[in-house]
Amino acid sequence: MSAVLLVRLKITDLSAWTALETGRRLLDPGYSLARIAREQLLMFEPEPGAKADSFERALGEAVRQSNFFVNPNKESYRFLTAAERGVSWSPPEDAWGIVSRVREDTRDDGLRERLLREHPMPGLSAIRRAKAWWLWSHGPDGGSAPDYFSGVLGELRDPKHGLLVNPHAEAAMILTGAVPWSRVERFLIDPAPAFRAAA
Amino acid sequence: MARVAVVQIPGVNCEYETGRALEAVGLTARIVRWNEPASVWSEFDGFVIPGGFAFQDRIRAGAIAAKLPAVDRIAQEAEAGKPVLGICNGAQVLVEAGLVPGFHSGKVEMALAPNRAPRREGYLCRWAWLRAEEGPGRAWFAASARPGEVIPMPIAHGEGRFVTADPEVRERIQREGLVLYRFVAPSGGPADRFPFDPNGAMLQAAGITNRAGNILAFMPHPERATWLRQVPLELKNLWGERRRAAVGQWESLEGPGPGRALFESFASKLTQRAAQESRS
Repeated sequence: MSAVLLVRLKITDLSAWTALETGRRLLDPGYSLARIAREQLLMFEPEPGAKADSFERALGEAVRQSNFFVNPNKESYRFLTAAERGVSWSPPEDAWGIVSRVREDTRDDGLRERLLREHPMPGLSAIRRAKAWWLWSHGPDGGSAPDYFSGVLGELRDPKHGLLVNPHAEAAMILTGAVPWSRVERFLIDPAPAFRAAA
Repeated sequence: MARVAVVQIPGVNCEYETGRALEAVGLTARIVRWNEPASVWSEFDGFVIPGGFAFQDRIRAGAIAAKLPAVDRIAQEAEAGKPVLGICNGAQVLVEAGLVPGFHSGKVEMALAPNRAPRREGYLCRWAWLRAEEGPGRAWFAASARPGEVIPMPIAHGEGRFVTADPEVRERIQREGLVLYRFVAPSGGPADRFPFDPNGAMLQAAGITNRAGNILAFMPHPERATWLRQVPLELKNLWGERRRAAVGQWESLEGPGPGRALFESFASKLTQRAAQESRS
């Protein structure tokens, strides 16, 4: 069970805005996009045999006081302990999500070293990174049509299909409803699945 | 005289010096805005997408620009054999548009991922060492490079690591000689560690072409090494010696730098192609 930090811009997110504008131009008639939001996910993984509560109190303090997780001038955040996060991760109301991670090891060792140097704490094994794109979309039948939208706006296949994730550098997971955190953890820890360009 | 369009996409910032580098090898360079009428692109004999930060690198470097109608039109011109050089951000655009390496037509087969080197991350701005290899792109982009020559050139990128998730694509890039420029050590030996391997690219690739050899996605900045005066005094090789010897001599300083050969190859092949076309 890991603790989680979710960070998003509280000023206008120009990347999300441009993704919205560009994404709209890729859609077929009858499909519409109302909004896209972007969120950074940091997952704090306990050492084998340790529990996240061994470092959560110190970590929460470090997140509040340090300047390398969150810039409060432009970002807001939610720090969720293993107990607070619950068993599953749900998209924001009426949205669904595309969560992406780098294809290589998702651990950010530099960030972990810096954290432990400035805020020593026991039991923290790794900090892993991912990115979530939240989409408020509508298909012709009034539903959010995530299958259609993930094909058009998700993994890049060719200039007309895909936008938010380049599958040669990133792997993606679709969140259409509540997903167990254990699955998110596996997604970040396991090697990225194989990918063929011609498929 | 062959005419080359330097494509000005919002956020690029190297279009003027790229234009000057092209003019220095006898080409006519025109800076052309991305939103010019579609018919304008067919007026040119070749294209350069310069470096910078197209659309502020939003989402990923090159991701938005790759979807521009202008890039689609340039791809059509390239299919007819016209050359396209993407420098740094321009390389990112070409890769995101699926123009390089182009094994499966129209498919995106690579990414230019964030730099990855031990205990280093983020943007990198320094001089690197390259060697031109044999391959289908040699005639267009490296004919003027001397065999085995180690070429110093500046790099400036945060997302410069050529990668593919598809092992078949990687194998074919290697087998078909599409890595036209490779990072090497100053001795010419393999770039087996930072800083010689500056970003962790597969096959130590600094520039990859398509199979026809007329499209090059090139991460270093040859336009920043076109004149000898642009070479740093402290560079430890023949080019550094030339630069130090030229101190105070304006004519020598205005002589060619190590990046000039790439543009000379481009100009020479463009001129040949124009002559062939006029004969036919």
